[in-house]
Amino acid sequence: MTKHFLLAARLLVRDWRAGELKVLLLALLIAVASVTSTGLFTQRINRGMNDQAGQFLGADLLLKSPQLTDQSVINYAQRAGLGITKSISFSSVIVAHDEFQLTHIKAVDQHYPLLSQIKISAQLYGDERPVNYGPAAGEVWLAPRLFSLLNLKIGDKIELGETELQVAAVLKHDPGQASSFVTIAPHLLMNIQDVAKTAVIQPGSRVTYLTGFAGELKARKQFEKWLAPRLSGSQRLVGGTEGSQAVNSAMDKAGQYLSLASMLSVMLSGIAIAMTANRYGQRHFDQAALMRCMGASQKTIIRIFSMQLFILGVIGSLLGCLAGYLTQQGLMILLKDLLVTELPGAGVYPLISGFVAGFVTLSGFSLPALLRLKSVSPLRVLRNDIAPLTISSWFVYGLAVCSMVVLMWWQSGQLKLTLLVLAGVMVSVTMLFILSLLLIYLSRLILPGLSGPWKTGLLQIVRNQKSNQLQMLAFGLSLMILMIIFLIRTDLIHRWQDQLPDKAPNHFVINIQNDEVKAVQQFFAEHGIATEGLYPMVRGRIVKINNKDILDVAEDKTKLDESLKRELNLSWSKQIQANNKLLEGQWWSAADDGKAVISIEKGLARRLQVDIGDDLAFRIADQHISATIKSIRSVQWDSFQPNFYIIFPENVINEFPLSYISSFYLEPAKKKTLNQLIKNFPTLTVLEIDVIMQQVKSIMSQVTTAVEYVMLFVLFAGMMVLVAAMQSGMDERMNAAVVMRTLGAKKAFLRRSQFAEFSLLGLFAGVLAVSGTEIIAYLLYSKVFELYFELHLSLWIYGPLLSVCLILIISGFYMNKVIKQSPVKALRYA
Amino acid sequence: MVISVNNLTKQVPALDSSSGTMLDILKGVNLEIKPAETIAIVGASGSGKSTLLGLLAGLDQASSGEVILAGQSLNKMDEDGRAALRGEKVGFVFQSFQLLAGLTALENVMLPLELQSKSSARDDAVALLTRVGLAERLQHYPKQLSGGEQQRVAIARAFVTAPTILFADEPTGNLDKVTSKNIIDLLFEMNREKKTTLVIVTHDENLAQKCERCLLLENGVLNND
Ligand SMILES: Nc1ncnc2c1ncn2[C@@H]1O[C@H](COP(=O)(O)OP(=O)(O)O)[C@@H](O)[C@H]1O
Ligand SMILES: [Mg+2]
Repeated sequence: MTKHFLLAARLLVRDWRAGELKVLLLALLIAVASVTSTGLFTQRINRGMNDQAGQFLGADLLLKSPQLTDQSVINYAQRAGLGITKSISFSSVIVAHDEFQLTHIKAVDQHYPLLSQIKISAQLYGDERPVNYGPAAGEVWLAPRLFSLLNLKIGDKIELGETELQVAAVLKHDPGQASSFVTIAPHLLMNIQDVAKTAVIQPGSRVTYLTGFAGELKARKQFEKWLAPRLSGSQRLVGGTEGSQAVNSAMDKAGQYLSLASMLSVMLSGIAIAMTANRYGQRHFDQAALMRCMGASQKTIIRIFSMQLFILGVIGSLLGCLAGYLTQQGLMILLKDLLVTELPGAGVYPLISGFVAGFVTLSGFSLPALLRLKSVSPLRVLRNDIAPLTISSWFVYGLAVCSMVVLMWWQSGQLKLTLLVLAGVMVSVTMLFILSLLLIYLSRLILPGLSGPWKTGLLQIVRNQKSNQLQMLAFGLSLMILMIIFLIRTDLIHRWQDQLPDKAPNHFVINIQNDEVKAVQQFFAEHGIATEGLYPMVRGRIVKINNKDILDVAEDKTKLDESLKRELNLSWSKQIQANNKLLEGQWWSAADDGKAVISIEKGLARRLQVDIGDDLAFRIADQHISATIKSIRSVQWDSFQPNFYIIFPENVINEFPLSYISSFYLEPAKKKTLNQLIKNFPTLTVLEIDVIMQQVKSIMSQVTTAVEYVMLFVLFAGMMVLVAAMQSGMDERMNAAVVMRTLGAKKAFLRRSQFAEFSLLGLFAGVLAVSGTEIIAYLLYSKVFELYFELHLSLWIYGPLLSVCLILIISGFYMNKVIKQSPVKALRYA
Repeated sequence: MVISVNNLTKQVPALDSSSGTMLDILKGVNLEIKPAETIAIVGASGSGKSTLLGLLAGLDQASSGEVILAGQSLNKMDEDGRAALRGEKVGFVFQSFQLLAGLTALENVMLPLELQSKSSARDDAVALLTRVGLAERLQHYPKQLSGGEQQRVAIARAFVTAPTILFADEPTGNLDKVTSKNIIDLLFEMNREKKTTLVIVTHDENLAQKCERCLLLENGVLNND
């Protein structure tokens, strides 16, 4: 065994020196590096997202409950080694200087916040300072707007219920703020010990008890698992991964893209490996025959070549892991300035999985070629034409497909995407094959009309139909994959940029009263603030679906959809909002004015299991109103614009108590305008989401970079296929060139006819690739990424052009060798 | 006897094998070869010389008849058994040299010894290459060597395992006259030194005449020339 191992290693070194293995190893390296670095990067971003979500919440997990959290929960968490903080959140009126203000209050204990930091400042517009504790007993920290609303300064006293508390600091940022995203009133932080003294919490008061937990991922998971079945219907566990909707949807798509790109680069590398391994195998028929001749048994042959494969796998995978790690590390350094927070390190899992992926790819794609060596007959040393048995193509393709499915599924965890990609590739290979037949058929037709080098070039293609078709397919397929990956990347990034332009709204303003609309609009105009428009809003609750009480419809009250448990924002509009898309039914015309019809958001429609023509009944301010669904819309929730689940036509709910909502972008420098706004219109509420926006943007830019560089791996892998395909046709071309030289063809003629041959090959491959790209892109856009598809006309020009150039460049490296081939060689090796 | 052949026949499917007809290449060959003997097999191109050589060396299986090589009946062995026997007793020299292009001259000669895991592989190979006059060319690749030099490497490789029998299939077929003579001389010198039986298939009159016995393969049977 060891003796064979040493021999295998020695032979491998000799093959390496002879340049036989470079492409194979490089392809393997790229596959592994791609898997590894994508894995590492995604893992780090995901962990980073968790951490950032933790900063949104001030804890990894937050349990929200209308009752005091059960002691058993606390005990369990303590035993699991989790940090715990208890706080109470409620709304109450505070009084200062005889002015009243409804305020959102959070009373926190000495452990708050578990994660992240509170930011406070000593003066209203002073420098902010991070602290990791809450207010001391007897003190409160107030949001800046409360200062202007109540005319307060640091050191003043405020009344809360039956007690007085001292204003000790300006609360600039509370990590728990995001969870109060929907709460409306300004924010106050106090110590939990003072709550009893205020006596504002009475039986029946609306209070939320918040319990935050933080700790090791494993402990958290264990705790979550234990807690989940014990939650009552009114309790909610807000998890670490629950960030904002915009981030989630972007991350989903980015995750899918990264998986897709990494799958495709592995697949391309696999193809390159298969082609080079096949060539490697063929070039070793003689060696195998000779070794058999010298007394090696079949077993020995198999052992030696599979040991070579093993050594190659270890080296390639190790180097690939290293390359993947370094790339990812280098990228982090490049990204440093972009990142708001440093991403946490990655684990070793992506490295291990990259290593295994390397082996699976290598064996899946090269084993058949090497197994064939076993059946090389020793008689080949006497009769060169004896080729070893061909291996059943079922076995070859079956093995490759199986290893790919296993690998892609395991790597991405997405069976649907895996199967879709695989089916896509198979369909496109078939399609490309048929197209290539067509192209060759056409070539035969135009051949008689040609002359000179172009005729010779085309003749070469037509004559060596099989190997040229194979090359065309390989070229076409890898170009196609490159184009698809490039297109999707561009469209995704554009979409993110559109969605979060530099001036995406970072403030919401709600509670604008009917009679204030004009004045508010004027205020915005005066201060040069562009809003996303003012939308009317009526609060209402869905009470019946098709005349059945929702409580009867749902078997289990606790399983009631979240949207049925609370009041929804209802609106009306003549036109459909710009970022909404009508999916089914019709938008209303003027004739529908005053009719009880609605347009419903598609997610809500799906969750409520309602469709066009179904009736929903709403309770709005103690009145009931029933309306029929006339259309279903998709809504871009991640647009940071006011959006509504339910929209009515005009004059249906206009008479109910209503307020207006708007969102706008405010430069950080203009932040003080908010105080003015609140002063002028004390009843409105401004939601500041600029901090969240900043974090969202930072995540987006990380993701964008990840997307861009994963594309590079696909590019490298594609190049490997091109090179491998070029190499695979090399021996035949060499022979053809030698024969032509012997027959008196001049070097210049050979050069020109080869130029013609490769230009045509490139052109054909380019046309194949672009056709394939359009079809696959259409499927991917509509089925996976939900992007808008249109034909990429410029691709039809650049695609084939690029293909011709690429193939001419790569062939250039090889063709010189072929042309310089002296005709004497022909005699020697005939 | 090193080799005895008894009524050996070989049929192969005719070129248009769809019809299922068989082509008789060897129709009953009988042959006895003594140790250290040198034998030439001549015949027209396509007469089946290489086929016969392949059968004698156990590279191929006969349709009927028997080959006993170094006291062992090849018919009763499977391919791996024959391979083991080849490794132990047989050396080969081919018309097209069959050197591995990726290996240096030295590595080519070492290969059969490495397969047998001989620890002295390198020293033995260097000694033989020196013997065939290529001491200066150890690290050269086949393509850096002339045809004659390549065949010398092949001869060194064939003798390095100290085989009992050496089979050569048109060893001078690809070489010019002068080089051929040198190669022939070398082969016979080696034969004398190592007492190796030589079985040579050839077109080359000079080569055939140097052998102790010359047999003509014609119409599928062997006759004394
Ligand atoms: N396995 C085979 N299949 C078909 N034809 C074969 C096979 N082996 C040999 N032949 C044919 O048998 C004939 C003799 O071949 P060969 O032994 O190579 O002759 P020689 O070496 O004397 O020139 C040739 O016509 C050859 O094509
Ligand atoms: Mg022959």
